[in-house]
Amino acid sequence: MTMGSPAFNVLRAMLWEIWRLTRVEAAWRLAGGIVGAWTVLVVFAAVAPDRPAFQDFGVAIALVVLVVPHITGWISLTRLTGGMPGFPFSLHYTLPVRTAVLVGVPMAYLTVASAATYLVSALLLRLTSGHPFPLMPVAAWIAALTIVLVAANWLSRNPVFWMLSAAPAVAAWVLLADHRLNAEEIQGSFDWPPYLWATRFDFPLTDYAFIGAIALASIGAVVARVARERHGDMRAIPLTFGDPPDDLIGLFRFRCPTSSPTLAQLWFELKSGGLPLVTIGAAVAILNPLIFAVTGYIDAWLSGMYARTFAVMFAAISLLILQFLWHNAFGVRWRRGRWYPSAFETTLSCGTSRLAALKVLVRSVCALAALTLVVVSLWVTLPLLGPGKTYELLRSGQRAIEGGIGALTGYQQLALSVVASIGLVVIVALLAALWALGARYPRRMNRATGSLLLLHCLVLFLLVLNGRRGIGLFVEAMGWIDAPLLLFATIYLTWKVFAERLLSLRSAVGIVLISAAFGAAWVTVLRAAGIQLAGMPTMDAAWMLSPSLLPLMASAVAPWSLSRIRHM
Amino acid sequence: MGEIVVDVNDLSRSFGTKDALDHVSFRATVGQVYGLVGANGAGKTTLLKHLLGLLRAATGSVRVFGLDPVRDPVGVLSRVGYLSEERDLPEWMRVDELMRYTQAFHPTWDASFARELLETFGLDRSKKIKELSKGMRAQAGLVAAVAHRPELLILDEPSSGLDAVVRRDILNAIVRTVADDGRTVIFSSHLLDEVERMSDHVTMIHNGRVTLSGALDDVRHGYQRSRVRFVEHFDQPPILDSALAMDGGGRSWSVVHSGSLEQFRHSVLALGGEVVESRDATLEEIFLARAGRNRQQVEVA
Repeated sequence: MTMGSPAFNVLRAMLWEIWRLTRVEAAWRLAGGIVGAWTVLVVFAAVAPDRPAFQDFGVAIALVVLVVPHITGWISLTRLTGGMPGFPFSLHYTLPVRTAVLVGVPMAYLTVASAATYLVSALLLRLTSGHPFPLMPVAAWIAALTIVLVAANWLSRNPVFWMLSAAPAVAAWVLLADHRLNAEEIQGSFDWPPYLWATRFDFPLTDYAFIGAIALASIGAVVARVARERHGDMRAIPLTFGDPPDDLIGLFRFRCPTSSPTLAQLWFELKSGGLPLVTIGAAVAILNPLIFAVTGYIDAWLSGMYARTFAVMFAAISLLILQFLWHNAFGVRWRRGRWYPSAFETTLSCGTSRLAALKVLVRSVCALAALTLVVVSLWVTLPLLGPGKTYELLRSGQRAIEGGIGALTGYQQLALSVVASIGLVVIVALLAALWALGARYPRRMNRATGSLLLLHCLVLFLLVLNGRRGIGLFVEAMGWIDAPLLLFATIYLTWKVFAERLLSLRSAVGIVLISAAFGAAWVTVLRAAGIQLAGMPTMDAAWMLSPSLLPLMASAVAPWSLSRIRHM
Repeated sequence: MGEIVVDVNDLSRSFGTKDALDHVSFRATVGQVYGLVGANGAGKTTLLKHLLGLLRAATGSVRVFGLDPVRDPVGVLSRVGYLSEERDLPEWMRVDELMRYTQAFHPTWDASFARELLETFGLDRSKKIKELSKGMRAQAGLVAAVAHRPELLILDEPSSGLDAVVRRDILNAIVRTVADDGRTVIFSSHLLDEVERMSDHVTMIHNGRVTLSGALDDVRHGYQRSRVRFVEHFDQPPILDSALAMDGGGRSWSVVHSGSLEQFRHSVLALGGEVVESRDATLEEIFLARAGRNRQQVEVA
């Protein structure tokens, strides 16, 4: 390959495209790492200027803050696959270059870019703060993790496979880092203070050889996968976010009823999303105790807690996997670089509110069933963790929840079930609506709406947990912004769904009754948790009662958002 | 004139800065076949999507069976059959499941017609949609669209990208659907011979505007292609009344023109030439003259 040759021009074009796609994220990583680490240093120095050990701990935290942003270098490229895993440059398959180049160039670029952005930020912090932030050893480990995570992301177009392969990689990385840094115990301090970094981060040559081997194996595996896609042996089209695999759908062979559109739509929803969700939930529920049992044997053999970390990670990820399967209830699809509703479904002669209600309810009921299976399985599995300090927090949490639920009266338990069930329907409806509106309106607007909702939940959570301690001003300020917004949005959307004849009076009466039941159950749960609204400031009481508006809001926003994507 | 099925009045719609439809008016009456022609991005699919309520009218109005398809989707869609350009069908469904599922939404479903069409097309009922070829997918989508004997059939590029055999099968199926009294078909196509063969009416859209609309025979009789010969030599196309496009050079030119032939003869005579031969223009010639490069040549000249 010479300068100006066709292959060189293709290579240059590929590099330019990757640079164009990743430059903003790289800038954010660079800025985020430096600003985050500096903030930690300043906060620790300000809090305890005369406690060197505490400040050393701050420097270690700053190092962690500096490292974390640099291990996610491939995220920008997922915009080419609609946020789904899979090799993002499938449109390059017709370029006159070898598959190894097609894969190797972006992998090398992302790996080097991650390591380089870390090096720049670490060097800058080293020069400005005087702390000995490690350079090459950590950069090499960042490169190793990046290349493994990129490979996990590109090796399959199945999000479950991606999560299951990325989890052990991260677990292995954390365990190895822990093994290297905490090799010698230091009494009265943590095991890797900055003054020991020169020796602690002086990894042996075998580590670098190991990193090299990982890089080669990762590139090789992705090249093999992409070669199969390139020659038509594997699917190269990105999957739709949240769609279960077709083979799983094919397991349910029951005939579509033709007697009514509602029954046919129920069949469609159950088959395309609901039953696969329950099946995956059941599979995860069976897998969890098995993994805990097997990893228990492995750890007993290794005399450590290595494999069990993977089991705990899998348990956490299994809940995430379920969330992926229920969040896109309206089935918005990724096509030609944009999100679209399916024209097939939007042209069904079925009313928008009925369609929205069926989609949300079927997905919610199945999500509830799947979640129940997984939670019960985790509940019975937790005692398998065995003795030891590491997982004491999990065990004590389990005991506290069991004790709390056991102390409730029958009526309070019923109220809790009502809150949990309707709450899940509300979450499914709001997520579906956000996803649908994301296909219709600018992304920034949806991010702002989603962030506001999350912030609202966070403030409410903190308020329930700790009262106004430390967040009093924030509660007051947020209350003046959030409460009117929530109220206005609910009133506006309710008016819109009536004005657009999306909801009938009969369905409105049903919604009001459900909202009232949820409100009553919510107040009962608050009382059971020891929160008395009577003596509370008005603003706090408004915060506490605000969730009772959510069923009403979700009932309005779900058909309204479906209507917005049905009639763009 | 029969009962009005579709009434689009002064419809405009833009996407960003691009005007996809610019004050479009369109009317379809019962029992007729309407062909929409236009270049890629002209606005054909946008107009069809408005008829289905998939797009809201920014300005103007859309009425299908006298109903607003956005406010009353069930009232409109229960009487409409639709085949989209993308043949957007659920990949996981089997052909048989697709038929049963669609049947549930349409009480007028004609099971024997569906079965007959599936047999004609040779579609395997047990196959999944994702296992079907592009042509088979279009056929499956068409059966789902026509088997409930819709009063209005809307087809967006029904034969685009299909081979001659599949195209013939699809056109035959459409013709059979139309053969029933009172069915209306609106379809868009790039294939002008197909539009010419099937349509009673043709509407030409260019850059979001309707540039030509009328009964096919009226449209064709309103345009002629004439061969003219001049005594003088012309390097550039000569300026002639009602000429839309010209090919040729020197003394011999081929002209697509509108209006009366007599008026055109006078115009040619005035430049010292004569009309050697004249015939009705084909739809393709009219389309190219109104939307193609040749028209610009005349304008430049």
